[in-house]
Amino acid sequence: MSENQEAKNGVPPQEAEEDPNEENHEETCEIQPQDEEEEEEEEEEESEELITPQKMIHLLRDSTTLVTNIQTAADTKESMRRTELEEARRVRLEQLMNDAESSQEKFEEITRGWSVAKEKVIPQELQEALNSQQQLCVAIIEDKKKLINELQQELRVRDDRYVKDLRKQEEELALMMERMEDQIKTLTKAYREELAQMESIYQQANEVLLSRHRTEWEQHLNKIWDQELENLAHRRKKVEEYEVIIHNLMLETTDKFTLYQTDLNAQFQALEREKQQVKATNMITTLKKINQKNEKRQRTINLDNIKSRLVSLQTEMKKLKASHYGMRKQLTKKSQCLSEEYKRSVEQYERIQGKKKHLAVANARKFEQMWLTIDEEVKQLVDRVLVIDSQICRSLGLTWQRPPMPFMELSGPIQPQKQPEGPACRAASQQFDNGQASQWSPMRLDLSVRPKVEDNAERKDVEMYKDGTSVQSESGAEVEEGRTETLKKVMELLCDEAGYLVEDKLLNLLAPLEEEEQTLLKLASLLSTFNIEVEDVPSLAEFLLKYAHKQREQTEDVCVDSGESNKNAEEVETHLTSELIDRNQILPVLKSFLELRAS
Amino acid sequence: MSRSPYPPGAKLTSTEDLRKTRRIIAEYPDWSLTIIPCLSNLCLQSIVKNFEEKPIYEELSDTQKDFVHEGLSTSLPLHVTANLISDGVYWKRCCEQRWDLCDVSLYGHSWKRMFFERHMENIIELFIPDVTEPKTVLEMIPHCNNYIKRLDISQLLPPIKEPQKEKEEEEYGSELASENEYEGPSMDHFDFNILLDKLTNLEELHLVYRVKQCGMNFEWKLFEMTDRDCESLAKAIKSCKTLKLLRLHLSHIEDKKCRLLVKWLLDHPSLRTLDFSHNVIGDQGARAIGKLLTRSQLETLNLCDNNIRGPGAKAIAHALSKNSTLLSLNLRLNRLRDEGGEAIGKALLNNNTLLHLHLGANELTALTAMALSKALFQSNTLKSINLSCNNLGVDGGNALVDAMSKNTSVTECDIRQTEVDEQSVSFINQVVRTNWSVEQKRHA
Repeated sequence: MSENQEAKNGVPPQEAEEDPNEENHEETCEIQPQDEEEEEEEEEEESEELITPQKMIHLLRDSTTLVTNIQTAADTKESMRRTELEEARRVRLEQLMNDAESSQEKFEEITRGWSVAKEKVIPQELQEALNSQQQLCVAIIEDKKKLINELQQELRVRDDRYVKDLRKQEEELALMMERMEDQIKTLTKAYREELAQMESIYQQANEVLLSRHRTEWEQHLNKIWDQELENLAHRRKKVEEYEVIIHNLMLETTDKFTLYQTDLNAQFQALEREKQQVKATNMITTLKKINQKNEKRQRTINLDNIKSRLVSLQTEMKKLKASHYGMRKQLTKKSQCLSEEYKRSVEQYERIQGKKKHLAVANARKFEQMWLTIDEEVKQLVDRVLVIDSQICRSLGLTWQRPPMPFMELSGPIQPQKQPEGPACRAASQQFDNGQASQWSPMRLDLSVRPKVEDNAERKDVEMYKDGTSVQSESGAEVEEGRTETLKKVMELLCDEAGYLVEDKLLNLLAPLEEEEQTLLKLASLLSTFNIEVEDVPSLAEFLLKYAHKQREQTEDVCVDSGESNKNAEEVETHLTSELIDRNQILPVLKSFLELRAS
Repeated sequence: MSRSPYPPGAKLTSTEDLRKTRRIIAEYPDWSLTIIPCLSNLCLQSIVKNFEEKPIYEELSDTQKDFVHEGLSTSLPLHVTANLISDGVYWKRCCEQRWDLCDVSLYGHSWKRMFFERHMENIIELFIPDVTEPKTVLEMIPHCNNYIKRLDISQLLPPIKEPQKEKEEEEYGSELASENEYEGPSMDHFDFNILLDKLTNLEELHLVYRVKQCGMNFEWKLFEMTDRDCESLAKAIKSCKTLKLLRLHLSHIEDKKCRLLVKWLLDHPSLRTLDFSHNVIGDQGARAIGKLLTRSQLETLNLCDNNIRGPGAKAIAHALSKNSTLLSLNLRLNRLRDEGGEAIGKALLNNNTLLHLHLGANELTALTAMALSKALFQSNTLKSINLSCNNLGVDGGNALVDAMSKNTSVTECDIRQTEVDEQSVSFINQVVRTNWSVEQKRHA
């Protein structure tokens, strides 16, 4: 404000003072916006969110005013300078006018002087006038020179001032540029800050948007995932169902297929079988043919063989017949002499039997006598023992009692268990001997000549025997089992007792066989030797049993009644429980049975 | 001395020859197929090499064009390249080779336009009348006709003076000579008549009649245009129907030349911006410009730093009151005083188009402020007003405060250095800011 006032004064020397003022003013102007800027910055820092279009405008405006301040200041200076110039020009013009007027007057004076001088004739006067005129001219010239000098000085001052002004303008220009640069810097800074803020805000907004979108996205994604999973599960289920169905279908088809296959197989097999059968029939027919051929050939061969053998056998038979006749003659001779020898030996035997009976009776008597004597001695010893015992008891103070002694009443010998060979036995052996002498000889021949035929006969015997037993068992209903049992045992006994009658050869042959079979074979051979038919076997057994009973009774009678010796009595009794018949009596009984039959 | 029949040098050469004849490709350790360029590349290289004799460009594909752009020599004659090679890397290379500072954004991001405009400017700036053949300019016209939109001529050289004396004589009798039209052919600058009517795309013309770096050869004559210059320029501008902007500054245009120019600029079909800043136009010139305002489509008028006083301002104000095209008026650094200021204030009452008004440094006082405040009070068209460097005083400030309290359009009001009291200043600034923010919101 002060500038204009100063400018009004319009005095050149004050201009020098003007500059600092102006500068100061500019500085103040400069400082203000800076302060504002700082404030703005602070404000910006305080409230970054609300930016500052207005602040930016302020900044812009202030900085531009800061720059344009110089221009306006220069403008004012220029306008001032112009007013000054005009003023100075006006003054100068006035001065010049005045000067011109005065010089005009002087010039007129001089011209007037010239007319005066023309009138003058006197040279001295003329000289004076000339001098005065000269002086006037000099004065005018001096005035002019003065004026020129003044003007020139003024010009010089103006030149100086112009130079100064130029310098000042240069400075101002420099300042202006500086300020512009400052402005540019501050503005760029401010714009950058604004940009940064905007960016940050946009970034935040972006981030918010992004996060929101992301969450949305994730939600959608999750939804989609869930849906997908559901779909997947659904699909999986379906797949499983379809798999099951397919499996079933597969199974069905395979079943069908297998069925079909089995059918086919069966058909095939049937066909195969037929084929095989056809083949087999073919084979069989061929084989039969072959067989027939073979048989035919063999038969022809066999027939030839048989024929040749027949011839040879016929010749052999003739030879054998011849030898048979010879042998028979010899045998008849031999048998005659042997029968004579037999008569003699029978007579000898009867004699030995008589002797034997006699000896037996004598021994029995002797034995009885011995037994009685020893019995008496023992009784005596017993009495003595009793006496001693009673004495011991008495001495001891005990009441003595006579112990019961039943055996004291008994007397006589105890019946012996085994009876020596009775008369029955003897009879049996006799009979056996007879039988043997009469019938064994042809048998032996047969055995030696044809063992196989004999075997067959024996087997037949066994079968017949068995049949017989079975028949017997049927007839005898009461003692069905017992009888067969007894029969069997009787037979066994018979075998054992008459075993010696079996030939040694036969025994050797039978050795590898089992015991039962052995007995059977033996029995069969025995029966055949005894000339007993199979039908007669049970009757034989009955006979044996009866005989055994009779014998027992006999022996008992003997024992009880008197010392009539029958040793077998007690033995039979004891055997009744275990054994049916006394072994020793079998042979005589058998003999008697044979005699009975023969009669 | 040597035992061998041949001199040693000869022997050496023979071995070298042997080596050459024996050399086979496999002996190169770093030989590989990839070093051999493609046939297409070779073709392109040969095209680039023989471009002057056989220019092939239009037939190429884009990538091949790029290759050619990269490879072409920048020293090729312009008659070959100018209308053939499209805007691209080649012109960038040409520009960067010729000038250090290349701001392509000032040229509409076209390197080719930049090159030709600057090329033409260089030619004109270095054109010495009577020495340089006009043919040099005329030859260039068909090449750069399509690309020049703006000519920013920062100097125009005068013809070379033959003797020193003549110059002195002219110095003395310049005023007389101009009047007598005895100027001689010497001082006329480049004649734009030969150029402007042929540049069919020219839109802007910036002219300064001055000599840069004259050094100790300084003469005032070097910094002004002659009458004949003026006439020829005026005719040239008249002939250029596409011109939108004429800027003729720092050229010592006084009333007479101004009137001459305006006479030819009347009813110009396309001129929108006129800039006569930093000249010495007085009231008569202002009166002529006032006439121009009524008979043109001018939107921007810049008359800053001239010598316009009250009467001239009155004439302009009168034109302004009738004009309906002017948007911006700049009368900075003139001598309008209250006489002119009040006239303009009154004119604004009848004007509904002017948006920007600059009346800085015009020795205005409170009276003008009151007149303007009336206008501001009434109309809401004016957007920016600059009254800086005037002695408005407290009363003027109060008047403005009153006006601004009702106004809603002004978004800029410069009242620095006007001795208005601080309260008014702050109030006005506040109103301006609110208006501005409202305006911004409306735009947004």
